[in-house]
Amino acid sequence: MLSVNGLFKNFSGKPALTDVSFHVGRGEIYGLLGHNGAGKSTSLGIILGMVMPDRGDVTIDGISVLKDRSKALRKVGAIFEAPAFYEYLSGWDNLKILMSYSGGFDAESAAEVIDRVGLSKRVHSKVRTYSHGMRQRLALAQALLPEPEVLLLDEPTDGLDPEGIKWFRDFILNLRDERGMTVLFNSHLLAEVELMCDRVAILREGQRVFEGRVSGLQDDTPVFEVDLAPWDLACGLVKSAGGDILSTGKVSLPHTMDPATLVAALVRAGIRVRAFSPVRRSLEDLYMEILNGAPSPN
Amino acid sequence: MLFFQQLRGELRKLFARPRTWMGYGAFIAMEAVILAVYKLERSQRYMKGMLERNGLEFGTYYSSLTITFTIMLLSMFLLGSIYFALVAGDIVAKENEDGNLRLVFARPISRLRLLLIKYTAVSLYTFSFVFFVGVSGYAMAVAAVGWEGGLFVMEPKMKVFAAYPEWWEGAGRLAMAAGGIGLSMITLSSIAFMFSCFKVKPAAATIITLTILFVDMILQGFPFFKPYESYFVTWRMSAWVFLLEQNISWPKIIESYAFLIGLNISLFTLGWLSFQTRDFKT
Repeated sequence: MLSVNGLFKNFSGKPALTDVSFHVGRGEIYGLLGHNGAGKSTSLGIILGMVMPDRGDVTIDGISVLKDRSKALRKVGAIFEAPAFYEYLSGWDNLKILMSYSGGFDAESAAEVIDRVGLSKRVHSKVRTYSHGMRQRLALAQALLPEPEVLLLDEPTDGLDPEGIKWFRDFILNLRDERGMTVLFNSHLLAEVELMCDRVAILREGQRVFEGRVSGLQDDTPVFEVDLAPWDLACGLVKSAGGDILSTGKVSLPHTMDPATLVAALVRAGIRVRAFSPVRRSLEDLYMEILNGAPSPN
Repeated sequence: MLFFQQLRGELRKLFARPRTWMGYGAFIAMEAVILAVYKLERSQRYMKGMLERNGLEFGTYYSSLTITFTIMLLSMFLLGSIYFALVAGDIVAKENEDGNLRLVFARPISRLRLLLIKYTAVSLYTFSFVFFVGVSGYAMAVAAVGWEGGLFVMEPKMKVFAAYPEWWEGAGRLAMAAGGIGLSMITLSSIAFMFSCFKVKPAAATIITLTILFVDMILQGFPFFKPYESYFVTWRMSAWVFLLEQNISWPKIIESYAFLIGLNISLFTLGWLSFQTRDFKT
């Protein structure tokens, strides 16, 4: 549905993107991660035609954004961190103006979407009186009004309270489930990305350094937190079983080994097993490993 | 149809800003000041002397139409230039500065169309504002001196001197002149609009525009540039005064407005080229 192909972009001779490519399938939620200045927003800017790439192209449902931006963006809605509306106008007037750029305003559809995002009571108030959460709801409404098939989210949950973040997440997941919407999610909140996304890409200094499924993060060598005594004797047994000692109290086992078999062997050898629990490898661990070249401290 | 919907939205934004209404207030205040000066005995004496030296009757030409002409001439020069530069300088640059353009750029609208909408809105606003100044100035003048009387015009810079003793004739000429001022002022707005499309702060667009106009005006006054005065923008912008000449010289007027239209198209194109090739980072 959304294809980013070999993007290169320099700002004043400094590379912002170097050969960045990814593809987001229909109905998929794709996370774009990276530190500040990694190239996430530049990628999003190019997808929306706000930034011109030096090389490469973006297609949305097969239509090139560079060649026919207006046609390509007909199926796109976007939300930015701290969306800047016209403060001196009401939410309703903002929607009217923004929708006039998308082919026209339909009051009935607008009322329906506003109701859906929970902004009905305040939509006729001036935007300057809105809280951050209400602005994000209005942003969501303006993004959904053209009935998009692709939703681009740039740090949409930044600054929201936990309740707001959960509401937003559930809303987006519902959209995907109900309408099969394709979502590109650009965020610093790794836990959110992990909860929402099917696949993620990590950008570092303008280059894509990782792409993979979120559900596949556990597929590597399983790691366990253990409390074994005596430790030295236990280490010998773990190693002889094909495992590896990562640090005191932390071991990794080969995929093929059943941890229960090892625990039984340890008990039989007279080792006291006080704890033996798998360590879940989070997206944050992976992110830190990739960006820092070392595992994050646990 | 969609263009008009978009244009309506642009005008809605323009008129929703407090600054827009402050401008109306400022012009009315200025009109009141000019009117108060006209009412001073010393001013009346000066005008009487001037009219009588030219064989004209004070009672006929000390009128609401003459006062309206002065109001339009002075307020457009003194306040109009600043105000139109301010509004047109804001139209693109302020939205970029405030981040509104990010939301607009997420829409399937081309940059050229967006600029055309904004330029049309600014032009309509400028043109209609001149009429507002004329109508409000005339209404205040009528309240002060009554509606009757003719129109006396004296503009030494453009060498225009005319007198229309009949009210209907004077009013017609003044309405035509207001249309001319409106067109001339669009050039001022076009300069500010072009700079607004560049990567500058809104205030910079306004200041650069005013600087260009004032430098143009000052240089035009130098004897050295006298033979070249028709190449100066502000001279061309003053062509509306020719609409008040006793015998209208249409070729002279058409030449000036063709010059200004050509200039406006060039300014828009330059602004668009800059806007089209710019990166707008999210």
